[in-house]
Amino acid sequence: MASAMTDRNPRAAEASGTYTYTSRPRAVPCQRRRYRDSLLQPADEPLNYGNIMYDRRVIRGNTYALPTGQVPGQPDPLELQRQQQARRRALARKRAQEQLRPRTPEPVEGRKHVDVQTELYLEEIADRIVEVDMECQTDAFLDRPPTPLFIPAKTGKDVATQILEGELFDFDLEVKPMLQVLVGKTIEQALLEVMEEEELANLRANQYAYEEIRNVELAEVQRLEEQERRHREEKERRKRQQWEIIHKHNETSQKISARAFAQRYLADLLPSVFDSLRNSGYFYDPIERDIEIGFLPWLMNQVEKTMEHSVVGRTVLDMLIREVVERRLNNYEKKEDTQPSMRSDDVYSGPDTMTDPSGYKFFQGQPSP
Amino acid sequence: MDATTAPHLIPPEMLQYGEDNHIFEMMQNMLEQVLIHQPEDPITFMINHLRRNNDSVPKVVILGPPASGKTTIAMWLCKHLNSNLITKENLLEKEFSQMAKEAKRHYEIYKRIPNSMLISLVQERLNEDDCLRRGWILDGIPERREQVLMIQTVGLAPRHVIVLNAPDTVLIERNMGKRIDPDTGEIYHTTFDWPPEPEIQNRLIEPEGISEIETAKRLLEYHRNIIRILPSYPKILKTISADQPCVDVFYQALTYVQTGHRCNAPFTPKVLLCGPLGSGKSLQAALLAQRYGLVDICCGQLLKEAVAAKSSLGELIQPFFEKRMTVPDSIITKALAERLSQQDCIQKGWVLHGFPRDLDQARILTSMGYSPNRVFFLNVPLDSILERMTLRRTDPVTGERFHLMYKPPPTIEVQARLLQNPRDSEEHIRLQTDLFYRNCGDLEQYYERAITVNGDQDPYTVFEYIESGIINPLPKKVT
Repeated sequence: MASAMTDRNPRAAEASGTYTYTSRPRAVPCQRRRYRDSLLQPADEPLNYGNIMYDRRVIRGNTYALPTGQVPGQPDPLELQRQQQARRRALARKRAQEQLRPRTPEPVEGRKHVDVQTELYLEEIADRIVEVDMECQTDAFLDRPPTPLFIPAKTGKDVATQILEGELFDFDLEVKPMLQVLVGKTIEQALLEVMEEEELANLRANQYAYEEIRNVELAEVQRLEEQERRHREEKERRKRQQWEIIHKHNETSQKISARAFAQRYLADLLPSVFDSLRNSGYFYDPIERDIEIGFLPWLMNQVEKTMEHSVVGRTVLDMLIREVVERRLNNYEKKEDTQPSMRSDDVYSGPDTMTDPSGYKFFQGQPSP
Repeated sequence: MDATTAPHLIPPEMLQYGEDNHIFEMMQNMLEQVLIHQPEDPITFMINHLRRNNDSVPKVVILGPPASGKTTIAMWLCKHLNSNLITKENLLEKEFSQMAKEAKRHYEIYKRIPNSMLISLVQERLNEDDCLRRGWILDGIPERREQVLMIQTVGLAPRHVIVLNAPDTVLIERNMGKRIDPDTGEIYHTTFDWPPEPEIQNRLIEPEGISEIETAKRLLEYHRNIIRILPSYPKILKTISADQPCVDVFYQALTYVQTGHRCNAPFTPKVLLCGPLGSGKSLQAALLAQRYGLVDICCGQLLKEAVAAKSSLGELIQPFFEKRMTVPDSIITKALAERLSQQDCIQKGWVLHGFPRDLDQARILTSMGYSPNRVFFLNVPLDSILERMTLRRTDPVTGERFHLMYKPPPTIEVQARLLQNPRDSEEHIRLQTDLFYRNCGDLEQYYERAITVNGDQDPYTVFEYIESGIINPLPKKVT
């Protein structure tokens, strides 16, 4: 459950091509359980952190010149030899030193040197270290008690005191200056207020005066404004008048030109109207029309009548001729039955000579137009 | 305010307004109506007439021999112009009319209607609201001169009279194939106009009186009568040959009905001649100026005059001339505006050629207020242009100008020393015509009522076409 909050910087790492690993400093947890795991183990409750001062893994002291490399493994034989040599040399040196060192001469025969303390008080020289065995053991598998409320110990001393009446001061004496001040201040305030009021009254009076002046000025301004307005209206009126005059002038000139134009344009109107009416036949020459409508039909009628008469006459003539011929033929046939062919020439020549002059006389009287 | 302090000029906008709105024709019509009807309260009558605003409705009479197709043409014209068709049958079948009932009775007994009855029927019909609003087309109604005179006396005058005519033999043959649809009354023909739907084909019946003898009799009567009717409508008559396909006849009739007649309105022509290099614009402009007193304005000439006169404008133009670059639009428009606003141009009218070379220039011209009221496009094929231009020569000694084909030099020595202007070289001409044709389409679209004239003929023929285009009213677009 070690939630190591690492702070990788892979981008920078990849950019430079090297692998870097950084992590936030964290307290090293220790796996030693101190209490029995409670059933309601809250998740990730304070991990037991170990104290690094007593951690064997941590190197104490100067880390610069420690022998690295073969810590758990076999000692290097070369190193070992060198160490032995160094030891031997140190030993030899120490021996040499000892020989040179002035020492107390050796005891005479039969005697023994003994160390004696010559101070005032004797001191027991014993190399024995006072050892006391102490044990400590928590109760096995106790529940972890709840964390006690931390109430810091009370520091400081409690002191009490009591003031009795009359001990500190005398009220009446002490109060005087204060009273003086108070009264004075009150009076001063009152004075100030009065002064204020007076000042206000003054101001108001000034204001009234000022207002009077202002009213007068306003009236003046109004008068001037009125004058200005009147001037302006007058100007406007005059301008409008002038404009109207010009407008009328223009209109009149337009009307005149329109009239002149219309007169010129339609100068030819009446003649062309009459021409067109004459062409369309509305205006006609009455005599011509009269002749055409009155006289000529009558004329034609009369001509027709005359021709009819002539035709009738000819038809009647034809009829007459036919009748006479038929009669003659019948007569001839009758005569033929009684008398034979001797009279044939007379028959043919007779009617012609007899009827011709009479027929002609007969038709002489017919009216000839 | 008098003539010295404020000189008074009639602003040209008034003239433009008069032309655009056909004021003269309107006044003429109104006055004619007043004269014909002679109302007691002329002002109210005139107000009503103006409100009705029916000066431009069609008033057409179509005459022709039997089997010439007049009823067909009349019906097509009616549909196209959204007008009312009036025939003898229509008049007899009219409801709510006492006169119609009497006439019908008379017709059933005597098989003909007396002239006065017919004309009074026509008058009644023509005074109805829909005829007044949408116009009328009379099909075969003035059959005799008496009827014509009666109509004219009443005051009903058509604006166009169309007479169809064809050789008698053709008509007799054609009449044999006539068939009528009894439901719609439409006339079909076995050869020329067969209906596509089979139901109609089954319904068709032969009308009575289409045998040769009948047709010949009716033709005789028609010829007897028509010869006396024609002189009554001298200026508005048009004869169309009915011997062509129906559609051609109809198209000719429609074009005629939609053209106006010349009227006496005062008119200052403002003519614009457009055409490629060598189409004869300057020549036509000079002829027009000479004949009608218009002011001839050639754009290039105007600029050269300005330079020569060393006016302020001329000084602006000179560097462009020296460098042989085209003068920018702003300077040209200033020079033109100056010229066109002078009094003689406004009074007499003008002929402009060489100016709007493309759409922007045309728009500028309109925005200046000088828009032309007649635009002509002279069409000349490229070969003719090349012929006309590349054969131009000048004599350096005498200064005379010759053309190797149309005005050849008199002697060989003269011919030997003739020189050609480098601007008449073929590439230059081709370049200029290319430039023109590039912009021509836009200009034609912009000036919708332009008249195209074939410029490939001799100058006086072209001049006559242009003249007739100026004098006659602009034709309305045939939709």
